[in-house]
Amino acid sequence: MNKRAAAAGAAVLAMALSVTACGGDSGGSGDKNTIKLVAADYGDKKSNASKIYWDKVAEDFEKQNKDIKVDVQVINWNDIDKQVKTMIQSGNVPDLLQTGGYADKVADDLLYKADEVLSPATQKNLIPSFAKAGEVDGTQYGIPWVSSSRVLFYNKEVFKEAGIKNPPKTWDELADAAKKIKKSKAADTPYALPLGPEEAQGEMMMWELGNGGGYTDGSGKYTIDSAKNVETFNWLQDNLVKPGLTYSNPGTTDRKTAFADFAAGKAGMLNGHPSLVQMAKQGKVDYGVTTIPGKDGPLKSTLGVADWMMAFKDGGKQKQIKKFLDFVYSKKMLKFDEMYNFPPVTQDALETMQSNGKHEDLKPFFDELQNAKFYPLGDPSWDVVSAEIKKSGGKAAKEDPKKVLGDLQKKAEEAAADK
Amino acid sequence: MSLKAPPSPARRSRGRGGQSGRPVRRTSGGLARLGPLPWIAPVVLLILAVVVWPVIELIRTSFLNISIAGIVRGSAGTDKYKKLFDETDFGHVLLWTVLWTVVVVGVTMLLSLCLAQLFNQNFPGRRVTRWALIAPWAASVLMTAIGFKWMLNRTAGVLNTVMIDLGIIDSSKDWLGSAGTAWPWMMFVAVFVSLPFTTYTLLAGLQTIPADVYEAARIDGAGSWQTYKGITLPLLRPAFLVGVVINLINVFNSFPIIWAMTQGGPGSDTATTTVFMYKLKETDIAESAAMSVVNFAMVVVLVLIFLKVSRWNEED
Repeated sequence: MNKRAAAAGAAVLAMALSVTACGGDSGGSGDKNTIKLVAADYGDKKSNASKIYWDKVAEDFEKQNKDIKVDVQVINWNDIDKQVKTMIQSGNVPDLLQTGGYADKVADDLLYKADEVLSPATQKNLIPSFAKAGEVDGTQYGIPWVSSSRVLFYNKEVFKEAGIKNPPKTWDELADAAKKIKKSKAADTPYALPLGPEEAQGEMMMWELGNGGGYTDGSGKYTIDSAKNVETFNWLQDNLVKPGLTYSNPGTTDRKTAFADFAAGKAGMLNGHPSLVQMAKQGKVDYGVTTIPGKDGPLKSTLGVADWMMAFKDGGKQKQIKKFLDFVYSKKMLKFDEMYNFPPVTQDALETMQSNGKHEDLKPFFDELQNAKFYPLGDPSWDVVSAEIKKSGGKAAKEDPKKVLGDLQKKAEEAAADK
Repeated sequence: MSLKAPPSPARRSRGRGGQSGRPVRRTSGGLARLGPLPWIAPVVLLILAVVVWPVIELIRTSFLNISIAGIVRGSAGTDKYKKLFDETDFGHVLLWTVLWTVVVVGVTMLLSLCLAQLFNQNFPGRRVTRWALIAPWAASVLMTAIGFKWMLNRTAGVLNTVMIDLGIIDSSKDWLGSAGTAWPWMMFVAVFVSLPFTTYTLLAGLQTIPADVYEAARIDGAGSWQTYKGITLPLLRPAFLVGVVINLINVFNSFPIIWAMTQGGPGSDTATTTVFMYKLKETDIAESAAMSVVNFAMVVVLVLIFLKVSRWNEED
């Protein structure tokens, strides 16, 4: 009796073990009436975590649509791409994803087209330039979520202390201002150059644009190691890094460090996006903004960044997703933009924000947004290239730029051939 | 081997009297026929599920072409291995892995020999200091590494402040920002967390050396260095070997220290193969799996060395 019970116990245990080990059933399809939403966290502290926003959205939506549930998962920027990849690989595909890139998923035919999950009214409400940036080969898949453009922030007090009268317009003026700041010891870091993994691809492109360079040429071919880009990094090394006018190791310094330094009054100037406005205000930094300096004059078109919403086909919940997206884009858009002070991607939100007088501080960003340049977002290989740049692009600030960028170019070409 | 012995009587009796009334009484005998199988089956299944199956999956993955979104696009043959060996960083990552392992284990063993010797002496407060030595072992490695990362922080790090106050450096440094200064610090942390285990292993070894051997040496007039070289070290060899090999495997596989302190950056300049594998995951899962297979092969070699060494030890 005892033996048999023990044997049965052992068998049960063994089964339990093998089940749990191979477990985790691919719940992609799961419950038809539950939308699984995965979103990135834009907050920098507990009180403004994006989870708060999404939970409220889900709650309000569920009140109006009693038959649909929204399951919210918010992941920080550093981990979201990795985690989503794991979800897709294990068959646990989300229904909606809000993150930085979409084109890689189009290459694998995972997404609904925008017009399949948006009502015509919602689609018309999107600002055309962003809707266009969501296209792969003429079909829109990426639905813009927020946008931002980059400008140069400078600390007015630091500039005054260093005796700088006007914000810099060219690279030479910028280096000159940085020198003055260093000499007068007005700030620890005269120019904050964050080329760490967090957003190396952003800072890099802002500098390359200043020299007429960029990641791709007119036909969409990668030109990461073009002569102009190499020249850009040589200039950065000779004029900012080596003279000690920026961080000693830009390649390992992340954007959040640079933003925190500026908000603490420790950095003289840096390229920033709208969330820095709030951070600077909270840090009581008297800041000014201007167009990012280029080699010979201010940038004609700055870097524009948009983050994206995308809907996955895997769960087959087209109807439910459409309902939810229409609700969010018509009723909840403005709230998100105001929460983080981001320029909106829908026309009605833009009109409200431009006219209600509460967003004067965003005006420079609205202006710059008109002719901003984007990453090659619609290129399915961009996500691989962007990940490679994040990994090693920052090394170009200290090592031979030709070698670092050449290596990236090689990887980009391989990725482009592989798509 | 032992599986074969018990079933034979049962099989024989069944073959002969299968139709008689006997089988009723044989229920427990039927179980006995399985021998120890029911008892080891859960463990075998567990090993199959959590060790063998993942290894097979891993090897399979390294021959697949997987898109960055996570979709399998078919077989890649040996392309991913070629891509891996073509990585510009691959050579120096390998080199650094070897250096990292050798230096950390070497320094750990040397320091542990001294510490074990010290703790083997009788001195007031020995009990407390022995406890204190456990602290770095008891704390999570990740926690220790994060602690050091912040202590070394460029603007707020307490170690920077202390070193400036002591006049060792004149302005705060970004220690973990470049490979040249990050490696020594990470090695320091790795040694720091490896010391307790190694010291205790050696201390245990020291305590097995009988006192009369030392007494004989003293009577023969051997000096203390002579005694150490001629008696302590040879008798300590079993404990020393165990310490070396276990540390080799631990340090080679060490991920949390490097990941928490530099994430292998800038680029892959401070990555060992384990960290490099993790970084490859961001761009190409299959290539990362290929790196894992290479890593796995290296660990197997280390384990084989361990088995060989421990057996050789027995014979001695």
